[in-house]
Amino acid sequence: MLEIQELSKSYGKHLAVDKVNLFIPDGQVGVLLGPNGAGKSTIIKCIAGLLRYDGRIGIQGIGAKKLEAKKLFSYVPEMPSMFDALTVREHIEFVRNAYNSSAEDEYIEEMLKRFELHDKQDKLGNELSKGMMQKVSICCALVTLPKVILLDEPMVGLDPGAIKELKAVLLELRDKGATVLISTHMLEMVEELWDIMFVMEKSHIIGSYKKDEVGEKDLDALFFEMTGKPDKGGEKR
Amino acid sequence: MRALFYLTKQSLVNNVKRAVKKPITLLIMIGGIIYGVFVIVMLGQLVRTVKVDSVRGLLAIVTIWTIYMFFGNFASYSSRKGIIFRPAHAHFVFPAPISPKLILIHGAWMNYLLSIIVAIVFFIAGITVFQIEVWRMLLFFLTGCVLELLMEGSIMTYLYANDRISAENMKWVGRIIRAFLIGVSLLIILYFRRYGLTLESAWSFFDWPGLQMIPFVGWNISAYHLILLGPAPLNIVCTTLYLLSVAGMFAVARHMKCEGGYYEDAAKFADDYAEMKQQKKNGEMVTSVGKKKKKFRRVKEHYEATGAKAIFYRQLLEYKKEKYFIFSKMTLLTLFIAVFFSYMMKDSVTETGMPQMILLGIVGYMTLITTGYLGKWENEIKSPYLFLVPDSPIKKLWYSTLMEHIKALADGCILCIILGTAWGVRPGQIAMAVLIYTVLQANRMYIKVVVQCLLGDSFGKTGQDIIRMLIQMMTLGLGIGAAVLVGTLINIDFVFPIILIYSIIVTVIIGLLASFRFYSMEQFA
Repeated sequence: MLEIQELSKSYGKHLAVDKVNLFIPDGQVGVLLGPNGAGKSTIIKCIAGLLRYDGRIGIQGIGAKKLEAKKLFSYVPEMPSMFDALTVREHIEFVRNAYNSSAEDEYIEEMLKRFELHDKQDKLGNELSKGMMQKVSICCALVTLPKVILLDEPMVGLDPGAIKELKAVLLELRDKGATVLISTHMLEMVEELWDIMFVMEKSHIIGSYKKDEVGEKDLDALFFEMTGKPDKGGEKR
Repeated sequence: MRALFYLTKQSLVNNVKRAVKKPITLLIMIGGIIYGVFVIVMLGQLVRTVKVDSVRGLLAIVTIWTIYMFFGNFASYSSRKGIIFRPAHAHFVFPAPISPKLILIHGAWMNYLLSIIVAIVFFIAGITVFQIEVWRMLLFFLTGCVLELLMEGSIMTYLYANDRISAENMKWVGRIIRAFLIGVSLLIILYFRRYGLTLESAWSFFDWPGLQMIPFVGWNISAYHLILLGPAPLNIVCTTLYLLSVAGMFAVARHMKCEGGYYEDAAKFADDYAEMKQQKKNGEMVTSVGKKKKKFRRVKEHYEATGAKAIFYRQLLEYKKEKYFIFSKMTLLTLFIAVFFSYMMKDSVTETGMPQMILLGIVGYMTLITTGYLGKWENEIKSPYLFLVPDSPIKKLWYSTLMEHIKALADGCILCIILGTAWGVRPGQIAMAVLIYTVLQANRMYIKVVVQCLLGDSFGKTGQDIIRMLIQMMTLGLGIGAAVLVGTLINIDFVFPIILIYSIIVTVIIGLLASFRFYSMEQFA
């Protein structure tokens, strides 16, 4: 369960996020949509504890800054950054230690195989391509066996096989009762994943829908209905 | 904590493994250690030679070191820039369920390592060079390793990790600390103004009661007075104050609430630091970490050009938007060198009777040392657009470096006109010196392109610069040798034209070779 109440964040005089409220229950995939600069990454970074903010963020009912809450969630940033002198496997081991995770070796092996990193376990962080870093970042997030997982533009840089695998893994997590929040502007990538959507524009959440409320309408149509931006034909709705 | 230890241990092990695999890195590491030991031994001998191998000598050295470290640490911690985190910390460590205070303390382990190494060096030197009793040096070592580190760690934690004080108020705390540091500096300056800057006054400074009374740093020095010289009322009082301040700061830091508010600044600094490292790796001259966002001027001019010429006009447009047009830090450095040497060397240069030759020497030296100076052209080769421009490689080379030649001409004018006029060099020779400077800068640029093209990523930027310098010295040395020979045997006035003509010929040839690099993005190596 992820709960955000009255979240605001400013960078100097620029208000990046303005009194945002958001709630995603257990076992649901939330998608945070919006154009570039809407404030999506700022929200994700606030939840991950990387920014100072006003308001309240709760992870399974615990304040997000508390260590107990941090144990329950994991974070996949938009731009993965590896430790130059750690191997792929060592990154995973570090995360397993840090979260005191009960993930077993078999689970780690399976994840590495699913994301085609099994034969690259001994590669150092500075030897990885952007796509491989992203895969390592995802595997590290999964190793913590999270109750809440945040993913900021997770599909960028991934090959089609890894995108398919990621979608499958996220649905498996959802089915196990975890809360998933994906921030993206690639609507087609999350079409088959979402249960609840939030659309951000100019620092605000301008609307949200639950999948069971919208019938056959696709994400694309719902998004442009809210933002009022030009559709395929270039006409304004 | 287990995870952080794992991170440090594995990073160290992998770095050593990597170094062992690369013989050059290993040799540099071994050479560095040997050099470090050599410097320490030499310093020990120097201390004996200048006869400061006494208790007071050690006290003087440790006083200077303490003041230096105190200033450095306080200044960097107060601006939350003293601890180097990597972008990977923001990714993996900051969101992890690890106490933010532990992350902070762990992040500064390199700082502690330096303090411990210095304390060990002081301990060994105290016993061997300064002939101080072992028990005193043990106490000295403990003060350096335990009390100072506790104080440093507590201050660092308080300044970084204090979530109770708002970011705005924390800025004020930083300002107050900086004001305190300025106050201490003024006090030291006032002391030397009052007693004069002599060897005697410097020695008396270390015994000056006022120094020991300065909060924190003075009390710290006072503890060394107590250990090395024995008890005196002042050092007992000040050492007690130091112990109390260490205990107080430690208690405050330990019980202070911290939920990772500093992560935001630390992550920003990590990105800035990574960018600075990358710039250094690219061979750029970097003077600070985390530059402010550049502001550009609005430009109304409109340029039209086709083919490779468009590259030049694009650069011109970019420079016009810059605050100081084509003038940069390099211009400022050139101006400083020109003004400084024109006055400082005036008499000695005039005495030689050949000021034009000294001017030529400085021009040559400036060309060789300006390795960290990159213009906009360096980015041209990295951009695929350059290779897509439908024009010949020679034209692409010429137009992408033309602005650099103009900049070199401007810098050459500043350097040669100021130096030449001050030293009484003939106007014709000054003009030729300006042209030689411009051609040599072009020569440097083109050789760099050729070296990069042939070596690719081998030898690193420093290695490539050394090879570039060697090639430049070899190719130009021939012409300079010939010019000096003709100048000595026939007429000294021939030196300038010979060097100018020869450098133009060599530069054109190297330029033609460098133009091969503009055929395709792929390098030969």
